[in-house]
Order: sequence, then structure tokens, then C-alpha cells
Amino acid sequence: MALNPTEPKWSLRLPADCSIAAIRSVYDLIREAFGRQERLEIDCSSVDKADVTSIQLLLSTAKTGEAQGRPVVLTSFSQSLRNTLRRAGFASDAMIDQHFPQKRDGT
Amino acid sequence: MSAMDPTEVFRQEASELFEVLEGALLDLGLRPDDRELVDSAFRALHTIKGSGAMFGFDKVASFTHEFETAFDRVREGEIKPTQDLISVALAAKDYIRALIEDPQSTDDVIGDGILDDLKRFVSSDQPVAPVAEITAAAPVESKQAGWHLYLEFESHILRNGSNPLDLLEDLCKLGPCFVVPVTDGIPFLDEMEPEDCYLKWDVKLHAVCDKDAIDDVFMFVQDEMKLTLSPLEHVEAPAPMPLFQLLDEEPAPVAEMPAPVAEAAAPKPAAKAEPKSEPKPEPKAEAKRDDRGIATVRVQAERLDELMDRVGELVIAQARLTQLASSGSDLSIKMIAEEIERLASSLRDTTMGARMVPIGSLFGRFRRLIHDLSRDLSKPVEFVTTGEDTELDKTMIECLADPLVHLIRNAIDHGIEDTATRAANGKTEQGRIELAAVHSGAQVLVTVKDNGGGLNTARIRAKAEEQGLIAAGAVLTDHEIHQFLFHPGFSTAQTISALSGRGVGMDVVKRTIENMRGTIDLSTRPGQGTTVTLRLPLTLAIIEGLLIRVGEGRYIIPLSAVEECVELTAEDERARGRNFLNVRGNLVPFLRLREIMSSSGSPDRHQKTIIISTGESRVGLVADQIIGNHQTVIKSLSKLHSDVTIFSGATILGDGTAALILDVAQLVALAQSKVEKQHISEAA
Repeated sequence: MALNPTEPKWSLRLPADCSIAAIRSVYDLIREAFGRQERLEIDCSSVDKADVTSIQLLLSTAKTGEAQGRPVVLTSFSQSLRNTLRRAGFASDAMIDQHFPQKRDGT
Repeated sequence: MSAMDPTEVFRQEASELFEVLEGALLDLGLRPDDRELVDSAFRALHTIKGSGAMFGFDKVASFTHEFETAFDRVREGEIKPTQDLISVALAAKDYIRALIEDPQSTDDVIGDGILDDLKRFVSSDQPVAPVAEITAAAPVESKQAGWHLYLEFESHILRNGSNPLDLLEDLCKLGPCFVVPVTDGIPFLDEMEPEDCYLKWDVKLHAVCDKDAIDDVFMFVQDEMKLTLSPLEHVEAPAPMPLFQLLDEEPAPVAEMPAPVAEAAAPKPAAKAEPKSEPKPEPKAEAKRDDRGIATVRVQAERLDELMDRVGELVIAQARLTQLASSGSDLSIKMIAEEIERLASSLRDTTMGARMVPIGSLFGRFRRLIHDLSRDLSKPVEFVTTGEDTELDKTMIECLADPLVHLIRNAIDHGIEDTATRAANGKTEQGRIELAAVHSGAQVLVTVKDNGGGLNTARIRAKAEEQGLIAAGAVLTDHEIHQFLFHPGFSTAQTISALSGRGVGMDVVKRTIENMRGTIDLSTRPGQGTTVTLRLPLTLAIIEGLLIRVGEGRYIIPLSAVEECVELTAEDERARGRNFLNVRGNLVPFLRLREIMSSSGSPDRHQKTIIISTGESRVGLVADQIIGNHQTVIKSLSKLHSDVTIFSGATILGDGTAALILDVAQLVALAQSKVEKQHISEAA
């Protein structure tokens, strides 16, 4: 879990554990990052434990960003996160895109 | 630290489920139309069956399966749970418990007999009209193509360890499922509680299955969710892909037609799986464990005892450090000693808190006892419990079980009158027994109250005279007469029953309660009933004590029993021989501890009196000096000292010396007997 202020745009890499056991600290991290910069990029490549709470947090982050007119870009969904999304009914990329319009699967 | 034996874990879990099952069955006897109770009993049975099979208890699984099958008619609303059926169901529960805890003691013939009884009751001609709810759950009509479900979970469900994704997965095993998450409820970040559940799901299940099959999926969370269910009239064009078809696969176009989930769940063709190098998702059990927040941890009882022992030693060591620091002049050592004292005190409280168990776990056992006694004695009894959440040290709970069984048996057997007598006295046919627990300062009060005939004071007195315990015509208050009930071998019952009447019991109850540093008190109103009140300390391990000095010796008085401390005035001194103290107009008898302890040397000039109380009795204890409060780690006395009744234990002080703990109840009894002797000598 790291903030990289030296990069041109601030990015936040989510930790491996984004399950309910650790979601509170992930939530605090996102809120802190949200308050610090205009544009936020969240790298989801390291997530290997995800559940309903992880999905909700990402949805809320995207919703909040959209409401405040501040771009939140979600990048590189890990396979584990992708599987969890699909188990929750986000059965296709189109659906995921619908809920995370700023998603980027860039490598 | 060894891992717990999985079968032992199953036994413990089963034990809790038995309590739930028994509670639900007993409640069902009172509220036969309560569907929640039927479901609760069924859930417990279902879990016992499933876990039993998993842990290799095949007989348990097969017997429970038969039990469940028979009980299913009740669940379906076809049969009403009569008292007979409840009794057989309770017997079946007992048999399953025996199969788990002591399989050697079971006999297949008995098990088969219980199942036959169960089947006989549920197949008898007593069907009831299905209620509206059941009608709604009628078998799926032929034109129905499946079910439309809307799932809304309570916000805390994730914290309880439930995982909606697992439930969706189970649902999809019933047939092709199209799951659409509903995200309307997702709040903004600032308003979010990250562990709460906000997602809802709209599901179309394309399978012709019973409503019950769907209910079974949500069986364990049905109290924590809203499930809206309506039949699907025709196959609707599914928008999203069926769940799981795409797991571990590249995203597919939305328009692609769904494949049945059964196919999707089957092993994938090698060609399809080949391009994917991503790791497989973790096994379900592993994923489940990850998703669960650790809310509770099961700890072996002996570990808690060990922890308490360690804390006790720490408290003693801390007392020594504090004493050492106070005798020196090093400020920094004093500060550290104070800090350690604070931490030790906090650790003590936390450890004691971890040992606290709600008394409701004990109360639950008595419901069955009352149910059976009520049936055997043909005395209908309503059992009411209050204060189940009141917490008590687990050791106290264990010690309290037997005395309460005895008191409740007495209440039903001797207290509650038979129906004819009750009717003749203008009482309701059904007797009432109330079991209550409440915190009162550093004590817990447990009361057993019945609305029976009350104690027959004249008969108790006559029996006491007959046994030579009192002289004929001696002047005694009713309260004093009732105390004979605690005398060994004392019984006024005219007949000896299987339950009581042999005069063995109340003395044991009193001794057990006093061994727990508690007291027992009786109050009765003729024709209206009897109340037995037990006053118990919160714990047996560490108490707050008042450290006093008598001569050269130091003693501890449990602080919970101390009402106030006063100086023994010259006037009180002058009244020597009478040993009564005037406390704000009330005469309180006092004992000179120097005399009791046979202390040598002359007493201090300003003697102190500590007023202690047990129930309604107050007594003053005269000591040379009150040193102060003291965290007292209780150590039991050796067998050699077991007959010294005025001490209940000992503790180690900061300087390494021992101090004896005074037994308040015994001292009060001693003072009262002295007062009585004084009365008698004055009368003579």
C-alpha cells in the first residue's frame, strides 16, 4: 500500500488484502488520498483478497469522485478482484465499466 | 499450545446448537404457531446433521436426518407441534446428544423407538389448514419458468461472517441464475461504514424448483435479510451473463446467450482453460475464511484459568514492587511502580471480563427441568426468566448450577400447589416460577421466586422443636425460624418424593453459596409464595479487599461487604460488655477482632470499627488499624485450616507475608449467636 507523490500524478496502490478484515485501513487510505489531490489513480493490481466490502469501497470511491468532478481512475484490476466482481454479478467488462467509468486496464 | 481436536470443536458447537434446539422446542410448546421457532429448531437440526456428517458422526447425521424429515411436516405447517410431539422431539434431541457425547451408552432400539414415535405423531390425522404464507409457497405451477428474487441484507451481515457471494453461489446451484447487483444504496465515501453491506441483488433464477429450496439457501441468514420472491412467468431475455460462467475467463460480450450454470460449473475443456495462466481462485473454504472478520475466538476454559492465575501472580508481584518503591526515595521508580499498578489493575479487569459469561447460558438449562417436572408432577408451571444478560465469572456459573436446580425443584415440588388447591385458593391453575439475575454493586443477585403457598412457619417451628433445635416456646422471629431450613437433615415434607423431602439439600445449597463467598436469604408470604435470594460476588479469583491490622496480624475484609468505617468512641468503649454500637440511632452489634484472634499486647488507642453487612444483617468489626484497600488475589487455605470457618482464604501481601481473608457470613453468624446468648443471659 503506497502513495507515490514523486510520480506526475498521484497514484495509490491497493494492498493485497482488501477483504473485510483489512477494509477499514484501505478505506482510511483512500479517504486520505482523496483529500490530498485533485486526480487520483488507484492501482488494483496487487489485490488478492477481495470481497463485498472491497467492491463497495471502489463503487463508493468512483461515485464520490464523479459527484465532486474529480477524476478517479481505477487501473489494472487483479484477477482476484475481477473474480470477486463477477461473483457479485458484475458479470462482464461492460457492466464493470458502467459502474467504474474511469477504469483502465492498462498494464 | 496445541490445536483443538476438530471433533471436540464439533462437540462444543453441537452443545450450543442443542441449547438453541431445546429452547426453540420448549418455546414451541407455548407458541405453537410461531414460525420463527420452527425455523430456528430446523436450522439447528440442519447444522447438527451437516456438521455431524462432516466430522464422521454418521449415526448422528442419519438419525438427525430422520428427525428432520419427520419434523418437516411441522415446518410445512401441515402438523401442529403438540405437547406430545414436543416431548418426543426433546427425547430425540437427548438421543442425538448421547450419540455425540457418549455413543457407547446409546442403543439403536431406543433411537428407532423415538423415531417411530416421532413419525407416529407427525403422520397422525391432525393436519392444520395451511396458513396464507404456506399457500404462497405452493409448488411451482407448470407454466412458471423460475423465480425472481430481490435480496437485501441487513447492514451488519458481513461483520457476522456471512458472505452474500457464497449465498449467490449456492443459489446458482439450483439452476441458471442471472444476477444483477443493485448499487443504488452505495453511499459517498464520507458517509460510508466500510464493513457494512450496501449492495443488493436482483436475481432471476431459471429453474423449476420449490420455494423451500430457495429458503434453504438463505436458511442461516433469513433473520438478517429481506428476501422478496415472485414467480417468473416466462423466460425473460437475460441482460447479463449467468454468474460464474465467466470466472477465470476473458470478459465476454454482453449479448452472448447464457449457458446453464451446471455446465459452467463443470470442468472446463482444456482448450478453454489453456490460455489462462492466472492462478485459480482460492478454494471456497479458504475464501470464506478470508472474508470473515474475527469477531469471536473460542478459547479453552483452562487457558482462561491459567491466564487468571498469571494475572494473580502479577498483581502480587506488583504489590511487592509498589511497597519497595514507596520505601525508597527514587521518584522515577515510584512513577514506574504506579504505572505498573495501573496496568496490572487494567489487565486484571480485562482478564476478569474475558471470563464473564451471561447467566442466560445457565438459565436455559432450567427450562427443560421445569418442563419435565411440570409434566411429571402434573403441575402446570409458567417459567419466566429475566436478566439473562447479567454476567458472572464462568467458575461461578459452574458452581451455581446445582444449587439452582435444587431451589427450582423445591419450588415446584413444595412451593407450587396442585391445581385443585390453587383453584380452591382462587389462584390461576398455572403456577409461576421466576428466575432473575441483576447486578447490585460488586455483587449479582439471583432470585428464585414462586407464587405457591409460601413457607409454613408453624410446621418449621414444630419440626425444629421436635428435633431439639430450639426449646419449646422460645421467642424467635419468623426469619430466624426459616433459617432452620438450612440445618442439615431438616425437612418438613410429609412425604419423601423422588425429588425432595429427605432434608438433604438446603444445607448443601447454603454451604455451596457460602463457599462462593455468597449469601442466601429466604422471604415468604403465606399463600403468596417464596423468594430465595442469592447474593454472589462477581468473581472468585481476585477481589477488592480492605486491609486491616489486628494486633500484629493483618487481615482482609472483602470490600463489597464493607458499608462504612467509624471510630470506636469512648462512649462505645464504656459500654463494654454490651458490644453494641450506636450508628446514627441504630444499634449495631460489634465483635472485637482482638478477642477473636487472641491478639497479644495492648490495643491501639483509637480503635476502628468496620461495619459489614450481609443481606439485612449488619455487624461491626473492631480492628486496631485500617491500612487501606488492597487488590486481593485469593488463595485457598490448606486442608489443615479447612475447619477454621471465619476465614475464607488467604492472600500474599506486598512484603511477601500472608494475610487471612475474613469470611463475612461466618462473622455475622458469630455476632448474631453472641447477641442471642446475651439476650438469653439477660432474660435469665
